[in-house]
Amino acid sequence: MLSRFIQTTRTTINNKNNQILFMSVVPVVQRCLCCLILCCLCWSCAEKDEFESDQVGNFEALWTIMDQHYSFFDYKQVDWNEVHNRYRRLVSNKMTDRELFDVCGDMLKELRDGHTNLIASHDVSRYWIWEQWPVNYDERIIDQHYLNFDYKRASGIKYQILPDNYGYMYYGSFSSDIGEGNLDLILSYLSTADGLIIDVRSNGGGYLTNVEKLVSRFIGERTLAGYICHKTGTGHNDLSEPYPYYFEPTKNHIHYLKPVIVLANRGSFSATNNFVSIMKSLDNVIIVGDTTGGGSGLPFTSELPNGWRVRFSSCPILDPQGQLTEFGVAPDVRVDMDEQDRSHDAILDTAIELFKH
Amino acid sequence: MLSRFIPCGTHAIFANFTNSLFSKFAEIAKFVKFASKTGRRCHSISYCFPFLCCLCCSLSLGAQESVSMFTVDAGYASIHDSYLTPITYHGLDLGLAYQAMRPLHSRPDTWLWQLQVGADYNYVENKARNNHLYKLMGDLSFDMQRRWNGVLNHRLEFTAGPMTQLRAGIVYDAVNSNNPVTVRAHWNVGAAGMAAWHTRLGRKPVTVRYQVQLPVVGVFFAPEYDESYYEIYLGNHKNLAHLGWWGNRLDMTHYLGADLQMGKTTLRIGYRTRLEHWSVNHLKVHDITHSLVLGIGL
Repeated sequence: MLSRFIQTTRTTINNKNNQILFMSVVPVVQRCLCCLILCCLCWSCAEKDEFESDQVGNFEALWTIMDQHYSFFDYKQVDWNEVHNRYRRLVSNKMTDRELFDVCGDMLKELRDGHTNLIASHDVSRYWIWEQWPVNYDERIIDQHYLNFDYKRASGIKYQILPDNYGYMYYGSFSSDIGEGNLDLILSYLSTADGLIIDVRSNGGGYLTNVEKLVSRFIGERTLAGYICHKTGTGHNDLSEPYPYYFEPTKNHIHYLKPVIVLANRGSFSATNNFVSIMKSLDNVIIVGDTTGGGSGLPFTSELPNGWRVRFSSCPILDPQGQLTEFGVAPDVRVDMDEQDRSHDAILDTAIELFKH
Repeated sequence: MLSRFIPCGTHAIFANFTNSLFSKFAEIAKFVKFASKTGRRCHSISYCFPFLCCLCCSLSLGAQESVSMFTVDAGYASIHDSYLTPITYHGLDLGLAYQAMRPLHSRPDTWLWQLQVGADYNYVENKARNNHLYKLMGDLSFDMQRRWNGVLNHRLEFTAGPMTQLRAGIVYDAVNSNNPVTVRAHWNVGAAGMAAWHTRLGRKPVTVRYQVQLPVVGVFFAPEYDESYYEIYLGNHKNLAHLGWWGNRLDMTHYLGADLQMGKTTLRIGYRTRLEHWSVNHLKVHDITHSLVLGIGL
């Protein structure tokens, strides 16, 4: 009886202790859970977008994105606030999407930038400078009268040795990836020529890595290729210090170190503009034709609340002399084609004559 | 998982304890009774719904030595990454993880260690529903936690201790031009904690567990405001690594769930939420996931 009484008493005491402990723990646990639930609720409120998805909101979003990210306002002397005031009056929530698109597209054209586009499902706004200048390139004339429709093609490069023993290669897009092996075979084939003409007219650009691949075959040592910088903040002048970058000659591959002439026109844009600016700085290279189309800002893309995309120049790339080439690279020898002469390419003819002399 | 961590020394205590454990309904009744005594209304705990769901499944004490658990997460994700887009994307969160938890060999009664390896994938869409982001992350974390398991006759266990975490991955936007991807990488140290309730559902041991991981300081990667990865590729590596602390970076992972012992197999159901927020170089990232967790331990 005594032992049972003691056991019962201990159990009661233990239970009481447990209850007291439990009573003290419950409020604490409840408070912790309250905090947890509140935290979860706060987290559930995901980051709220800054602009409404109506017409005015989309206009303001576009203007703000450009205001905070575009890198050439001062270089082009564009008063972006004045542009806002002028175009904002044209926008209302009653206008259609197409009407809004036209207003926004016109606003972007104020920047005179081929890299700046507004992209919607029904249209792409653009400022393509080469549409305002002579074309200065006709593929048919070259194929028929210079190559006699007899040429090789690899990695997007058309190549052949012309009758006067000058090599010719046409690269139509830096978006066409160049294989190192393909380039070896091309340059090996052209190595017997006395000089090489690289035609990048109407090449609208592409990947800068292809620029490096190609340039690396025409340099004998580490070469300054230019400078690159970027926006560091939302201010118009918040740009980083230009960072110099260099290209190395490709190891264990064929190089071409004989005289080279690069043909360019206004359609030589973006990465091609960059290629021409680097080649122009090499000692054995001459640029012939028209000024390039420019486009020296590496474009970024952003987005409006309604799903339209906007592309804009964000990272300026300078040439090896530290100059911006946003409005193009001037040729060493300026030549225009005669649009009436359908059998001669005056720019290519000039290049051949330069080699001969 | 943590609840299964009762070390050998305390196993006997738990075994004895199970003889005097409460039934499911008695447990809930007691909880409500104590809540009433403390002046709380019964429904005042209704906001703790996920936790109550687990409580309703709880009956009595369970005790395991260690945890090895494979889990699958599925739920909601929200991603805001101003390097890619100013728009917040919403969508699906999927994850796979492995968790190992063991008592520390030298001091099993007072310390445990935990290793977690996982990968998660987010597929999110913008409000206009015309573009997607893809996020793939992998993470590895390790922590050592001090144990306090003497509360409520060893039915409750609390642990806390230091943790370190390495997490890296990418977010990809297929439409963007020269900013199509952003790299996420961070290593940090902080605190991890757990509260576990060892109980029973019928004859099955169940552990209800809340876990938190809270990095405090660390290092993380972020490019400058509009710096292209091409420039980084060219060799400009300035200002890419940043000291992360609560002033510019906040990470949190919370887990609440229950492990049900079925013979030699353990089944897990739970809820996990993860927050990643940082702001540096005028860039802002704010990612959230809420996921249902299902797991199996062998």
